[in-house]
Amino acid sequence: MDTSTTTTDLPGPPSTAAARAEGLRKVYGSGDAAVEALRGITIAFEREQFTAIMGPSGSGKSTLLHVMAGLDTPTEGRVYVGDVDLTTLSERKLTQLRRDRLGFVFQAFNLVPTLTAAENITLPLDIAGRKDERGWFDVVVDTIGLRDRLRHRPSELSGGQQQRVAAARALVTRPEIVFADEPTGNLDSRSGAELLSFLRQAVREVGQTIVMVTHDPVAASYADRVVFLADGKIAGEMTEPTAERILDHMKTLEA
Amino acid sequence: MWRATFKSLLARKVRLLLTTLSVVLGVGFVAGTFVLTDTMNATFDQLFHNLTKNTDVIVQSRSAFDSAGSNNADQREPMPDSIVHTIESVNGVAKAIPQVNGFAQIVDPATGKPIGGMGPPAIGASWSGDPSEAITLRSGAAPHGPDETAIDAATARKYGIGLGDRVKILFEGPSHLFTVTGIVGFGQADNLAGATLAVFDFPTAQRVLDKVGLADAVDVQADPGISATTLRDRVAAVLPKGIEAITATDFADQQAGQIQSALGFFRTALLVFAVVALFVGGFIILNTFTIIVTQRTRELALLRAIGASRGQVTRSVLLEAATLGMVAGAIGVVAGIGIAVGLQALLGAFGIDLPSTSTQILPRTVIVSLAAGLLVTVIASVVPARRASAVAPVEALRADGAPAARSLRRRVPAGIAVTAAGVGTLAYGLVGGGALLFVGLGAAVTFVGVAILSALIVRPAATAVGWPLRALGLPGRLGRENSRRNPRRTASTSGALMVGLGLMAFVAIFGASVRSSVDHVIADTVRADLFLSSSSFEGFGPDAAQVLRTLPQIDAVSEFRVVQARIAGGNATVTGVDPSSIGRVANLEMRSGSLGALRGDAVLVQADTAAEHGWSLGDPVRIEFARTGTQTFTLAGTYERDEIVGQYVIPMSAFEANVTTQLDQAVLATAAPGTSVAEAERAARSALTDFPNVQVRNQAEFRAQQAKQVDAAMSLITALLLLAVLISLFGIVNTLGLSIHERRHEIGLLRAVGMSRAQVRRMVLAESAIVALLGALLGTAVGIFFGWAVQRSLADHGVSQFAIPGGQLALYVALAAVAGVLAGFVPAVRASRLRILDAIAYE
Ligand SMILES: Nc1ncnc2c1ncn2[C@@H]1O[C@H](COP(=O)(O)OP(=O)(O)OP(=O)(O)O)[C@@H](O)[C@H]1O
Ligand SMILES: [Mg+2]
Repeated sequence: MDTSTTTTDLPGPPSTAAARAEGLRKVYGSGDAAVEALRGITIAFEREQFTAIMGPSGSGKSTLLHVMAGLDTPTEGRVYVGDVDLTTLSERKLTQLRRDRLGFVFQAFNLVPTLTAAENITLPLDIAGRKDERGWFDVVVDTIGLRDRLRHRPSELSGGQQQRVAAARALVTRPEIVFADEPTGNLDSRSGAELLSFLRQAVREVGQTIVMVTHDPVAASYADRVVFLADGKIAGEMTEPTAERILDHMKTLEA
Repeated sequence: MWRATFKSLLARKVRLLLTTLSVVLGVGFVAGTFVLTDTMNATFDQLFHNLTKNTDVIVQSRSAFDSAGSNNADQREPMPDSIVHTIESVNGVAKAIPQVNGFAQIVDPATGKPIGGMGPPAIGASWSGDPSEAITLRSGAAPHGPDETAIDAATARKYGIGLGDRVKILFEGPSHLFTVTGIVGFGQADNLAGATLAVFDFPTAQRVLDKVGLADAVDVQADPGISATTLRDRVAAVLPKGIEAITATDFADQQAGQIQSALGFFRTALLVFAVVALFVGGFIILNTFTIIVTQRTRELALLRAIGASRGQVTRSVLLEAATLGMVAGAIGVVAGIGIAVGLQALLGAFGIDLPSTSTQILPRTVIVSLAAGLLVTVIASVVPARRASAVAPVEALRADGAPAARSLRRRVPAGIAVTAAGVGTLAYGLVGGGALLFVGLGAAVTFVGVAILSALIVRPAATAVGWPLRALGLPGRLGRENSRRNPRRTASTSGALMVGLGLMAFVAIFGASVRSSVDHVIADTVRADLFLSSSSFEGFGPDAAQVLRTLPQIDAVSEFRVVQARIAGGNATVTGVDPSSIGRVANLEMRSGSLGALRGDAVLVQADTAAEHGWSLGDPVRIEFARTGTQTFTLAGTYERDEIVGQYVIPMSAFEANVTTQLDQAVLATAAPGTSVAEAERAARSALTDFPNVQVRNQAEFRAQQAKQVDAAMSLITALLLLAVLISLFGIVNTLGLSIHERRHEIGLLRAVGMSRAQVRRMVLAESAIVALLGALLGTAVGIFFGWAVQRSLADHGVSQFAIPGGQLALYVALAAVAGVLAGFVPAVRASRLRILDAIAYE
């Protein structure tokens, strides 16, 4: 079914945010072993903005990202992408939504080893059986600067190149929002910087919305806005961040 | 190391179960075969001892030899029945009961069709009604006089024949109508191992079985206090030359022994299929352990890094395999016993009523089965174990955990060498005078060689085979890529299927070649228009041919009878023919001498056989008959075509003089000049309505009948081979499961970026179909080669034609693909249900 129909069908307050969460709780396990990873989070990610999520290890960053991206379900609360409430969608609809309206970059296992770089980039289009929009594909490929590597398989690419291919794949469907979980986690600082510039460029030049989890204050400083998480709760945020200010704030959280 | 081994075994329960199953089936087949045949042996042993339990000594004429397992198993010369008086006069004899027996086939009164005969014999016998005899009266009374009979309880029940009913019974001589006065059994059993039985009083039996004044045996009972051996010796002392007395126990042992040697053949045949199943199971063990070792590379490297020696690593893998082999062996033994008991029940359902004997589980069965399971698993895991020990400690530090890909180049010389060795052994077995064992060994080694080589062609072959899967879009493409990414794995997974399908294809080709050859033989050697054959294995009485001779629509009529005899120290089939008419119905292609010389003590021998023995015209040929002992014939000619008459032909007069049972195996006839075949056929059919066990066929029907017999044999073999195919399908399930575990991150990623569950399933099914198709195609290719090789080697032995049943082979390949898809179903569903987050979690 066409997802635009779904949008008009579903009720929900109109919003300018690309995605948002209301009163989000996530509990893993039960009884004594229960871990409350998210303890009531309400947040909105504005369109055409680059948001970084930071926080100590175990603070719930990945959990938040997974729940927001429809990869996991919240124990309580609601998640909206545009006006669609993800918590009401069937498994099939959710898969379609991820395919057509979201983009992903993970820390690792981003590429299918049997496919070439080009095929990895067009993967979501191929899954949908959509003809790739040649023009946009070219723009993306040229921006990540990997035109001469398109026929290579992932094993023939460096870690940085692989992550750039993954980013290109996340962007090629022109998703409403791209979620990235520590995309530079395995990269050296130069490759990391290249990838981050590319992400920021996508936000600036084509109005892409990106939410990125990171541990690195320098990486976070590429974002327009930084949201801090601690112990499953929001612990402040910052606009127009710099690496030093982020570092300072982080210290207060870990103390 | 022990603890690590068992932990790793238990950690993969499902995998373990499937891997075990691939060995369990083979071991179960081995154990089942032994249990079944041992139980049947014990059953027959018990049966024959029960039959003679009230008899002490049996008197019969001496047999020149035991022609065990043949259709006319007991070709003894009947004795004059006056011998009874001689025996009765011996001191210590309480009773001497003369017996005659022979062929008697009951006709189903409801349908007019003769009952049984395909398998267990149709027996007619005398019965005195004496309660001490083996036969026991169930209801009614013992038959008296020329028109009364009693029949076995199983036949009576199955065909609804009751006391007072009139039944027609067929004999070697004229058939006759009888009133059923009694229903009989054998102790508890309703019939004698499936044989039908009609009994008559002694004089009637003598008459209908064509043994007037004669007796086949005399059952002797001793006075109280006289032992069987004492009685035997006393009786033997008064018997004329050529007649012997043996104790009933010895007699029973001899009878059981004959059945047991026939069962030995049956056992060997079944064990061949068990070995095939174990062989395929070995492929799966090899594959599974290779994958497990690969997946555990990091763990193994860690073990090496902390100081485990290479030997320890090798031993730990072998130990794991041995444990699995023992467990599989134990389960297999239990399963095998279950299979055997089930098969017995099945025989019962087919009307083969055996007295119940406890299931025989001999220590040998358990030991051999366990050893088979252990051996197969350990041998199959040697290569993976060595690979495991070759893991370098530094692999522990490698980020991706996957060992460096090894080149396939080294496979070329190894594959070629193994294949060549296999083909060589096969060729030696087929033409170099080697035994059948070499043929089997050569085939097995060839399969291994082809499996090694096939890894080299997996990539292009998968591309080609998977080409139509493009219709499935991306999932189809990914499935195809997945089948190509690890050629070794794909090669050995499809290799297991290749074995089963290769053998099935071979059987199909061999069957088609035999059919086509038979057609050629009929065209080349048969001049007859009509063919009479029996609805049972035993043949039919000579009257049918006599009736045919009276018909004006029929010209030549020629009978064929066969008997097992011994010639030059070996068993041989001797055919009795009518010299005056055989030339008109068959073309033997005489090489020397002439058909006309076939009279008196003349014998014709197939040209090659005569050459082998160095016989030339006029030489004596000594034939030893069971009934009359060694007789000397003179070689009167040699001929080329042995398809109809076999290797040795004697005139019917000589056959009648030397053989007890005079049943026609076949009668060939030609239409009279000026009469159409259809007319002659009609006349023959209506003249033979009184011979319900005789079937009249024209050439086309005869051909079809021959083809049907070949097909029936081939179908049975194919059905047994399906077990191997089934095992190889488990292999596909297993390998795919392991591969999916290995690719869980990738599948999680595909799901995260929007691949639906259905698409994931399609991807896995596509891979599984490709693996199955590759195996099926390779198998078919190897099968065609085997078929060709075997046909070439038998070209001079009746299989002159090579035929490839294209449609049937295509059907096999298509079915294999479908089976592959079915096998992929469980892994496909599992893949589609992988939790995305687990899959993309970075460890
Ligand atoms: N599948 C799970 N089962 C149980 N607990 C979980 C699971 N996933 C996460 N948790 C717990 O939830 C909490 C939040 O985890 P999460 O992975 O979101 O943290 P994070 O902020 O991403 O940490 P890091 O920076 O180390 O990646 C942690 O305490 C973690 O142990
Ligand atoms: Mg995290």
